[in-house]
Formats: sequence, C-alpha cells, structure tokens
Amino acid sequence: MSKWLLLLLMILAWMGLGLTISISQQNQIRGHQVSPNQINRIVSMAPNLTEILFALGLDNEIVGVTISSDYPPTAKEKHKVGNFWQPNIEAIIAARPDLVVTLGFDQQINLAHRLKRMGHTCLTVRIEKIRDLFEAINTIGTAVGKQQKAHQLVSDIQTRLDNLRALVGRDQTLKVLWVVQREPLRVAGRDTFINELIEIVGGVNAIGPTIHKYPPIGAEQVIACRPDVIIEPSEQHQNTAAQLRHAMQYWGRFENVPVVTNKRIYVVPADVVSRLGPRLPSGAETVARCLRPELFEK
Amino acid sequence: MIKVQNLDFWYTPESPILKGVSFTVQRGEFLAIVGPNGAGKTTLLNLLSKTLMPKSGTVKIEAKAIELYSNKNLAKKVAIVRQEFVPVFGFSVVETVMMARTPYYSSIGFETDTDRKIVNEALEATNTSRFASRTLGSLSAGERQCVFIARALAQNTPILLLDEPTNFLDLKNQVAVYDLLKAAQIEKGKTIISVTHDINLATQYCDETLLLTGSGGYLHGSPKDIFLTECIKEVFGVDVFKGKIGQESFFIPIGKYAKKSPSAPVKPALS
Amino acid sequence: MKNETMKGLLTPGILARRTALAVAVLVAVMFVCSFVGAERISLKAVFCTATDLTTVNPDHEIFVRVRLPRIILAAIVGAALACSGVTFQALLRNPLADPYILGISSGAALGATIAVLGGFDWTLWGRSPIAVFAFAGGLAAVWLVWSIGRMTGKFYVTGLLLAGVVVNAFFSAIIMFLTSIAKSQQVHATIFWLMGNMVEEDFLVLWIGTGCIASGITALFLISPQLNILSLGEDDARSIGLNTTGIQTFAFTIAAFITAVAVSLSGLIGFVGLIVPHAIRLTFGPDHRQLFPLCAIIGAAFLVGADTVARTVVAPAQLPVGIVTAIVGGPFFLVLLVKYSKKVHWYK
Repeated sequence: MSKWLLLLLMILAWMGLGLTISISQQNQIRGHQVSPNQINRIVSMAPNLTEILFALGLDNEIVGVTISSDYPPTAKEKHKVGNFWQPNIEAIIAARPDLVVTLGFDQQINLAHRLKRMGHTCLTVRIEKIRDLFEAINTIGTAVGKQQKAHQLVSDIQTRLDNLRALVGRDQTLKVLWVVQREPLRVAGRDTFINELIEIVGGVNAIGPTIHKYPPIGAEQVIACRPDVIIEPSEQHQNTAAQLRHAMQYWGRFENVPVVTNKRIYVVPADVVSRLGPRLPSGAETVARCLRPELFEK
Repeated sequence: MIKVQNLDFWYTPESPILKGVSFTVQRGEFLAIVGPNGAGKTTLLNLLSKTLMPKSGTVKIEAKAIELYSNKNLAKKVAIVRQEFVPVFGFSVVETVMMARTPYYSSIGFETDTDRKIVNEALEATNTSRFASRTLGSLSAGERQCVFIARALAQNTPILLLDEPTNFLDLKNQVAVYDLLKAAQIEKGKTIISVTHDINLATQYCDETLLLTGSGGYLHGSPKDIFLTECIKEVFGVDVFKGKIGQESFFIPIGKYAKKSPSAPVKPALS
Repeated sequence: MKNETMKGLLTPGILARRTALAVAVLVAVMFVCSFVGAERISLKAVFCTATDLTTVNPDHEIFVRVRLPRIILAAIVGAALACSGVTFQALLRNPLADPYILGISSGAALGATIAVLGGFDWTLWGRSPIAVFAFAGGLAAVWLVWSIGRMTGKFYVTGLLLAGVVVNAFFSAIIMFLTSIAKSQQVHATIFWLMGNMVEEDFLVLWIGTGCIASGITALFLISPQLNILSLGEDDARSIGLNTTGIQTFAFTIAAFITAVAVSLSGLIGFVGLIVPHAIRLTFGPDHRQLFPLCAIIGAAFLVGADTVARTVVAPAQLPVGIVTAIVGGPFFLVLLVKYSKKVHWYK
C-alpha cells in the first residue's frame, strides 16, 4: 500500500509545484500595447488582409504574408508564413513582427491566442459581410495610424458600388445560382457576402433561405429554382477556359432548363470575386458583366 | 480438509450435472475423479477451485466455506492445473512458472531468492529445467503440460487439483507425473485431487476414488470397491477385462474387433 | 545450474540498464529534433540570450516557445499511447489491440466535433474547448463500452471488443451526420483535429499533462506483475490469487485516462499504440515490468521523430502527425506481423 501512497503524494506535489510556477509566471508576461508609431513590421494572415494593407500604403511595413496572398504582385515576393489554414508559427516569429493581423475564423483566432501568449501583438478582424469589410479597413487603419487613408479607401469602394448599382438599375431582377462546388453540388446561400454581391448587381439568389450558408443541393432544386444565370468561381487562377468547358459539359445534363439552353453559364476568377477585400468593386463589376452584358458593350 | 455437502450444479435446470454430491477428502489423501465424458469431472474441479459457484450445497476448504475465501487466500490453499494452452504472448517456461510466486514478490515487483529456489525445485521435479528459457509455443503439448504442473507446484499449496494432467504425455511421462504427484503427497503431505480418464493409473496411485456416473449420481470409495467389472461396464457402457499383477489390478476395455470376440467380422475380400 | 535456469528472467539490474540506454536515446532524439524545423535556428543564438530581454531574438523564441513545448508534447503523447497500447493488449489478450479499440477515438472525435460545431467562445485557461470536449467524449465512450462489456459476464473480452465495434460505429455515424450539416470551415477544423496535430502548449497545460501521463504510466508499471499473469489467461490469473476484476478495472481506467489526456492534447494519432509495444516485445520479451518503461521512452522518441518529419518534410506547410505515423507504421507493422507469426503460434 505504501508505494501507492507515495505515488499519490508525488502527483499532488507535482501539480502543486506546477500551479505555483504558473501563477508566478503569469505576473511576468503581459502583452504590451504597441502604439501605431512603433509598428514597422506587419504580418498578414489572409489574402484579403494583404490587399487591404497594401491598399493602405503599407508596402514596406509588410514583412510576412500567406502563400495564397498574390495581389498585388509585389506581395508574392514577401516572406511566406504558411497558408491561411496552416499558419507556420515559426516563420511568423522569424519575421519579428510588431503586429500580426488575422481574420476571425477559429483557426486564426487560435493562432492569435498562441501569439499573444508569447507576447506578440495581434489584431483580429471579422470579415464576413461587406459591412464588416468597411469596419475592418477602418480598424486596421486606426491600428497602424492610417485612419485617413482608410476612410478614403472605404468611401472609394462605396462610391464605386453605388455607381454600379445606379448603372444596373432596379428594373430587371435576374435569378443567379452561384455554384461554389460541382460535385457534390454546393451553392452560395442567402446569408453570405456573395448574396450581397448578387444583390448589388441587380440580381437575386435563385435559392431561397437555407440553414447552411453554403448548402448542398440536389438536381431537382436546380431545375425548380429556375435560375437565369449560373456563375462558378474558378478553382485555379488560370484556365478559366478549361473550367468553362467542363462546366458546359456538366450543366448540359439539365437540357431543358432555360439557363442552359441560353448558355448563360459563366466562370469568373475566384480571387477577385470571392475575396472580400479592396477589389470588391472590380469583382462586382465582373459579376455585373455576366448578368447584364448589354450594359457594358461600349 | 475438503468437505463437500449436497452439492448441486447445472448449466441448464433440465439437465443437472451434479445432484446431491457429498464427500470428504482427508488431509494428505490422493483422490482420483473418474467417469465418462460429460459426467461433470471438470465441473467438479471448477467448483472446488471457486471458478464456478454451486447452485446449492456447500464446499468447505479447511472447515471454511469456499465463498468466504478471497482469491488471494484461496490461492494459498488450492492450486489448479488445467489443460495446457499456448498463451498469446511469448512468455518463457521459467517466466510462466515464476508467475505463481507473484503474490510473494518484493514491493517493487521483483522475485526474491526464496521464489527462485522454489521455482527451481518445481522445474527440476517436473523435468522442465532443460528448456527453461524457451517460449511455451515452442514446446510440445506434453512438455507444456509439465510446465503448468511445475507452476502449480511453485504455488506451494497444501491442495493440488489437476484436470487430466497426463492427456498428452507419453507412457514414460505419464508414470513420471504420477510418481511426482505421489512423491508430493508422501513427502510433503499434499492433498491431491486428479481427474483422469486412465482408470489404471487411478487404481495404481490413488487412495480414494470418486466415480461420477453421468446422470448426477456418484460413487465414493477405495479403488478396490469402485472398480468392479460390472460397475465399469454399467457406468462407462463398455466391456472390460480385469487382470491382476501382484497387488495391482488393471482393466482393459474390449471392443468389437478384439481378437477374442467370436463375433468379429471377416476381413472384406479384396476384389 | 541455478543461474543457467534463471537466465531469461528480468532483474532490476537489467531493467535499469535498458531503461538508462533508452533514456539516452530519447534525450539525443529530443535534442537533435529541437534544432530541426521549418526555420533555421542556430545553437549559439538560442543559448546566448538569457540576460538581454530588450533585443528580439527570434531563434531563442522559436526554440523555447515553439519547438521545445512541441517536442515535450510529442514525447508525453507518444509515451501515453504506447503504454496504453500495452495495457489494452494485455487486458484483451490480443496483440492487435490498440488504445482506440474500445471507443476512445470515436468518443473523442465526437466530442471535438460537437465543440467545433457548437462554436463555443469560451476558453479554459486559454485552451480551446475542443480539448475539454474531446477528453470528456473519450471517457464517456469508453465508459459506455465498459458497461456494455461487463454485461456479457464470462465472455468478457469478446463482449468488450464487440461493444467497442458497436460504439465506434454508432459514434462515427453521428460524427458523419454532424459533419454533413456543418459549415465547410468547421468541417475542415474537425478533420484537421482528427488527423492528429501537435501545437505548442503553454507551460501549465504541459506540466499537468506530463503529471497525469507520468503518474498513469507509473501506476501501470506498479501492477505489471499482475498484468503478466492476466495476459496469460484470466482463469489462470484467478487461480494464482489475483483479484482479476479489481486489476482489470484499475488497468482499464488508467489506460483509458491517459489515452483521453493524450487525445485531447493532440487529436487522434494512430499506430504508436500498436507498433511500439510490438517492437519492444519482439526485441525484449513480453514481461510488462520491462514493457512499460521501455515503451514509454521509445514511444516518446518515436513520436518526437515523427512530428519532426511532419513539420519539416513539406515545410513551410505541415503534415498532420497521424499521416507520418501511418506511413511509417503501416509497412513496419507488416514486417512485424511476418516476423511475429513465425515466432509465436496463433492460438486463442
């Protein structure tokens, strides 16, 4: 019996020791608040954040971006810190950042917590709707001391969107089916920023309200919802032509659906359209061209 | 030493295995349990070692009811040798026999010198020292059986139960095992209960015999009284020839094709 | 003559020597692996920093804040899984048992999936709720399996195995359902967790985790003579005087506990609990007094190595550790199987 008692005592001693060390350590590590002037090295953990930072004129301060941050082209030459889903924390630390900017997804929040525990300064912004984008630009602008530039950027975007709305007008409402994945079939639902995009350009989501943001749907719903236009974001940057061919082949099976017979199936570059960033107006314009090509014939 | 009273046991109520069995085994006695297949010999051994619990009746070891013994205390009184088997993991002979000494290990979990001595003696007695470091899987069934007997001896208990210990042994080893058991009985005063199919060995070595008849009944007495030609014929359902060498009787079963039988069929002609 | 017979037996001396050798191997592996990684860090820069806190030293920071915690985590998880594998193999008398066979994996996975889907915001001392849910889920599943298994009475081992299969299947079905209605990023997070991943943890988590696992392994070591007998056969164990029910319950609980701790820290990492016990058993024999210390240490070294490969081979991206252990473990297991079936006769 005594060896068990000894084991129990050792366990209690170990845990007690750990707690005391931990408590004493708590007092030492305190995240320091960094003022905007001291921020000279910034790491961005998402492609749209990279675009925002560049748009705020922070080209020189950016010292780390994710692998998929490819716009503007100079971003491609920056030090890589892993990708959006799998950040490389060693690379982030090696870049000696003063500020790390992340999005609000669970993985990234986790990363922010880890970095904060090590004493780094992190800024987390949620960008899920267009309104969030404007807020985020302003938040980031304040954090890096570029409030004016941020306001400017926001109002530029808003103006361009308003112009587009005016151009498109309210008389026609085309039903759009936004297909993010073909097999299995998955579309963008009403609770996404894609939906907002569709509505800006005078369209309406062919799918009604759903539980999921990106619901999987079946063939009958495709026929039943009677879309006027089908849009697919491209999976790779190049080869939209190849994807369009495959798309035409795929949708060909819905022979009697008007959208197919009218061949109103479009493939658009995903990085402009699905990335909620400063290029949003360009993305909206691209989508508008698909819906109302006649408005853009100059 | 062992007192069984009114023991009843059944696996299903419709077919009782043991009905109202009562007998006593004295200290230092050698009891052989015999009977036809399915008569309940192994079941009885299991009841004596607390592997099974009686449906009614009592089993008392040294005047204490068997239910009152903890596993550990019972293991100090009773050691049981079951049918040999190959364990899944490759323990060696000496490791297997040493396991019997586990309750006596030092606090850190290793053997003492006493344990080593006892195991050594057990290995010597069963003639298994010569392959002490081989795994059980590499031995023959007979050699393995001896290892399990050695383990029971290493347990150093006053009572030894064995379930058909000579099943896989050649003639020499059959005799060797029973000589060993008899020596343990005479020199160390152990009480031995052995289930066996071999009624000749039973008559040669045992003091008392328990014959289970197969329908719940039993006969208990000295071999002289139990092993009578008529009795064997009735219980086992086979004809026997009884012979005698000196003081020892022996029984040979007689089948249909035995040469002395007048009704032996003619060999079929080759065409 | 006496020494000749006792030659094969384990003695404290032999055990101490082998353990010391294994520890040396582990320390060497840990040291080397802490300097291997996606970023180059220099030995000098790591150690010449202690006093100067003002200048930023990324090498030191990476070493102390990222590499070292991760390696320690890999070591304790590897040790836990290996020892838990040993225990389940002994309890089920089956060399193909692994720590997940009795429902812990699907239970923990279900817990994790619920945590991810629930989108809980709170943290327990800065740790995401996934770990807590996974721990609870794993223990709940194994308790369920144990209860079902006990109802089968005499055929206890078979009952446990079948209950494990049923519970695993049932929980997996629930997980698939939940995954199908989840948002895609949640799905990704769940799958990522399921494949096993090492993340550097903070001090307190590592400390408590080490304490739990080390004490669990020590407790198992202290009952290893009993496990020796139990792995031979249950009836035999009882006849030799073991309190079989007590030992089985105790060993089962401890093994389930350390597995649940390991899984909650690092997700599901397979093959460690299957391969390491086999390798040690084939090399050194089936005595559990030896298996526990050696499996713990070699299991730790194995997982540290595997994790190092996982985080460097496709750097700067990372493979989930579970993939590396499967790729290494699979063929290794086949080799073991061939060798093993020649050495041991397959009896029930």
